Amino acid sequence: MPDVTEAPLPPFDHEPEPRDSGVPDGGVAGASPAAGGRRRRFATRGHAPKVVILAAALVAVASLAPVAYLVLREGFSFGVLMQALDSPSTPELIGNTALLVACIAVTSFVLGVGLAVLVVRTNLPAPRLWIVLFTMPLAVPGFVAAYTWVAASYRYVPSSTTIFGLGGSTLVLSLGLFPYVFLPTVAALRGVDAAQEEVSRALGHSRLWTFFTVTFPQLRIAIAAGMLIVVLHVLAEFGALQLLNYSTLTTAIMQRVLVLGAPESGRALGMVLVGGAALLLLLERLARGRQRPSRVGRGVVRSAARWPLGLGGRLGWLAACVAVSLLALGVPLYIAVVGLWDSFVGAPATALSGAPGIDWGALGSAVGGTLQLAVAAGLVATVVALPISWLYARHPGPFATIAERSVWLAHALPGIVLALSLVYIGVRWFRPIYQTPLMLVAAYVILFLPLAVANQHVGLQAAGKRLDEAAHSLGFGRLRVFARVTLPIALPGVAAGALFVLLDSAKELTTTLLLIPTGMTTLSTGLWSTTNGEVLDFTAAAPYGIGLILVGVLPAYLLARRAVQLAT
Amino acid sequence: MSASNRRRWIFRAIAATAIGAMSLAAAACGSSSAAGPATSGSTASSDASSSGSTAPGTTAPAAGASSADASSDSNSAPGDEKAPLTMYSGQHEPFAQALAAGFTKATGIKVTLRSGDDAELVNQIIEEGAGSPADLYLSEEPGPVAMLDSKGLTSPIDKAALAEVDQRLLPSTSGWLPYAARTRVIFYNPALISEKDLPASVLDLTDPKWKGKFAYAPSGAFTSTVSYLISSIGPDKTLAWLKGIKANGVNEQKNGKVRDSVEAGQHPFGLSNHYYWYVLAAQKGADKLTSKVYFFDHDDAGGLLLTSGAAVLKSSKHQAEAQEFVKWLGAADGGQQVVAGDGDAQFPVAPGVTSKSGIPALSDLHFPTVDPTVYADTSEAKDLIIKSGIA
Repeated sequence: MPDVTEAPLPPFDHEPEPRDSGVPDGGVAGASPAAGGRRRRFATRGHAPKVVILAAALVAVASLAPVAYLVLREGFSFGVLMQALDSPSTPELIGNTALLVACIAVTSFVLGVGLAVLVVRTNLPAPRLWIVLFTMPLAVPGFVAAYTWVAASYRYVPSSTTIFGLGGSTLVLSLGLFPYVFLPTVAALRGVDAAQEEVSRALGHSRLWTFFTVTFPQLRIAIAAGMLIVVLHVLAEFGALQLLNYSTLTTAIMQRVLVLGAPESGRALGMVLVGGAALLLLLERLARGRQRPSRVGRGVVRSAARWPLGLGGRLGWLAACVAVSLLALGVPLYIAVVGLWDSFVGAPATALSGAPGIDWGALGSAVGGTLQLAVAAGLVATVVALPISWLYARHPGPFATIAERSVWLAHALPGIVLALSLVYIGVRWFRPIYQTPLMLVAAYVILFLPLAVANQHVGLQAAGKRLDEAAHSLGFGRLRVFARVTLPIALPGVAAGALFVLLDSAKELTTTLLLIPTGMTTLSTGLWSTTNGEVLDFTAAAPYGIGLILVGVLPAYLLARRAVQLAT
Repeated sequence: MSASNRRRWIFRAIAATAIGAMSLAAAACGSSSAAGPATSGSTASSDASSSGSTAPGTTAPAAGASSADASSDSNSAPGDEKAPLTMYSGQHEPFAQALAAGFTKATGIKVTLRSGDDAELVNQIIEEGAGSPADLYLSEEPGPVAMLDSKGLTSPIDKAALAEVDQRLLPSTSGWLPYAARTRVIFYNPALISEKDLPASVLDLTDPKWKGKFAYAPSGAFTSTVSYLISSIGPDKTLAWLKGIKANGVNEQKNGKVRDSVEAGQHPFGLSNHYYWYVLAAQKGADKLTSKVYFFDHDDAGGLLLTSGAAVLKSSKHQAEAQEFVKWLGAADGGQQVVAGDGDAQFPVAPGVTSKSGIPALSDLHFPTVDPTVYADTSEAKDLIIKSGIA
């Protein structure tokens, strides 16, 4: 039963209560007014423990540090900001960014929701296989996908420029990002009560009408949360867009900071970007809608009947699924394997990209570096996210909302802004950990905390608070309830959060480039140093590319398996 | 029973936390030593053994730490006491690695390399201030190193080192040493345009007849070009030129992409740096390439000669060793041999040293004569590039 609401992202909330009371306790005397009825006993003691509030506040503040840096750093002035806004290039950059975000939002919505419905709600053959295949693009970092697409274009249609620009960027990034919509939609579809659809059908509505009026509204929260992750990824993307010749605010920031040496104007653009991210966060709140679905009857949700597709339909949709998988996975894998082959048969690599052949030592230490950092980031993020997600799940209110949203804001910052701020803060106040793995892990945690929070939140929702209350009534203390009742049930969600953080940390490029300890390499920086945006032949990059994909496959598979369990 | 269950859970929670903390601690220990002033060369020291193609440039932290003590290299100079150096480099990574390895081989002094983009690393050095772990800075472009110099962050280069290189290339301040050079060129695809139809000057490219015909990249060399233009034709004309480039050209982001896209036939020609073509030629054979290099036959802004510079940071605690590096770098029998022999095809700057990569001799080139201090203050160039919408 707890599985019902287990999605990688917050699905809709079955609990109609406007404000949940917390775990009752003996120590803190709550003062909130009785919510009435059944919950009076808890509501009277309903404040969250102060330690948790404090911890959540600390985490939120730490997450906002990079944003604060944009404003508070010495030398910042509104003059520079106004100048940036006034600059003739800024509107074009904003336009480019908005256009790309809109295009990718549409395509990943269509792909993510469409494929989820196809897999969960029709009699398409081999649904489990498709769920796994449609999750796997998570293992392919955006800049690797872009690199392979560009390499493929140069290899097979050298004089064509089709892959570059808006169209190519939309294609390549959408294919890597749609799983963020697909996974939660799969889980949410599973949570929709079949009875409601049956009522609608019994009233004479068509399947399509029923889907759009009854089913879809219940998917809104899951879809909105997935879309938020997608668009924030797009806002922060650098490597892929640089290779695909598409300029956005983030590529301009990177260009200004890395090549032009104009960090102040980069920071000014960073402010614009943060503004855009805030707008998107707001939009997501609106897109969720206010309505909470109510259930017909009690007990376990029955899954709805699958729509029968005719033979032609099944073949057609099967072909579409194959096409998506080939584009999202086939192209990167094929080019990586070709590149690997070339490096084995000894096509000499360029001097710009290092010596020919595979440097196993370097590759091995890059794998080690990536694993070490990503696993540490996953674990730390899990611990750090708990206060916020617990508060958000158990004590919703203005404070919890602000804490949760501030965590998201940092997620939208381009890595470069975060990296610069951490260099600045690190050098001044945390000298001993500056340029150590700790610093990089801290950066990953700040960047990817929302993924942990969102998933933990789902897990905690699954471990409904009524269980907490029941455990409490049996005389358990607050900590014991959390450790023995809440956490075990929420564990799948918590684990999913850790996996998402691990995956994204392993794929991260921009922040890593700036904060990596001197002499250390990861797979992503190793790969980037073989191209640096200059070299377009995937040969030298192939071992790193394959390494990155392999590192990502296991977490992606675990996430897919969860979705499979939910959906079939 | 519930008590034992509880204990088990508490144990699990503690264990999980401990594992997390331990992996973090392990991660921190892995290279916290690299951050301190007493760098133990625990990471990626480009020691002599890494000059080969197997380059264990990134030894595992534990193994590397012990190898720091074992500096009993047969060909190392007797000074075992010499501290390892930390070098930030905006130069192409394999090239910088080759230089570091060559120096280690010659002197026994280990060099830990941090590679990145010029502007990024120079900003990092400025942010790091007096506590910067870097001893040396190796630039790709003259601008960033000249800027470090103009901000007073570099130590003067020893006279003996300055004497080694072509005196025409020296900055008037002596705050850094030019150790290699590149020249701006045009790559063109003869299938799409013949050499005689190429523009006589890059200043002509604002003419609408060139619309969609050429590629460019807003690289560091591009910024240097803009700095030079500001000093020669003034800011207003420079801005107009930039707007023309933005309107007519295709921004390929990187010089390497300019080369590849011209070679692939996506554009008739492109503005780039000479060595990109020679690197590709060395790899595939010059006769197999469609594209060709055009060197300007007069002193044009499109044929600017740009030097890469090395600087000793004032904040370095290893001034003597760092100066030793710079002296080796400029010496005709030292670093210049690496420049001449490396596959990167950049111009050596010590008189009498010629490159082995088939590039023309420096003396045969035509380029405007410029004091590289012109490139130190790039703020106006940056403003104009941003104003034009190119970056």
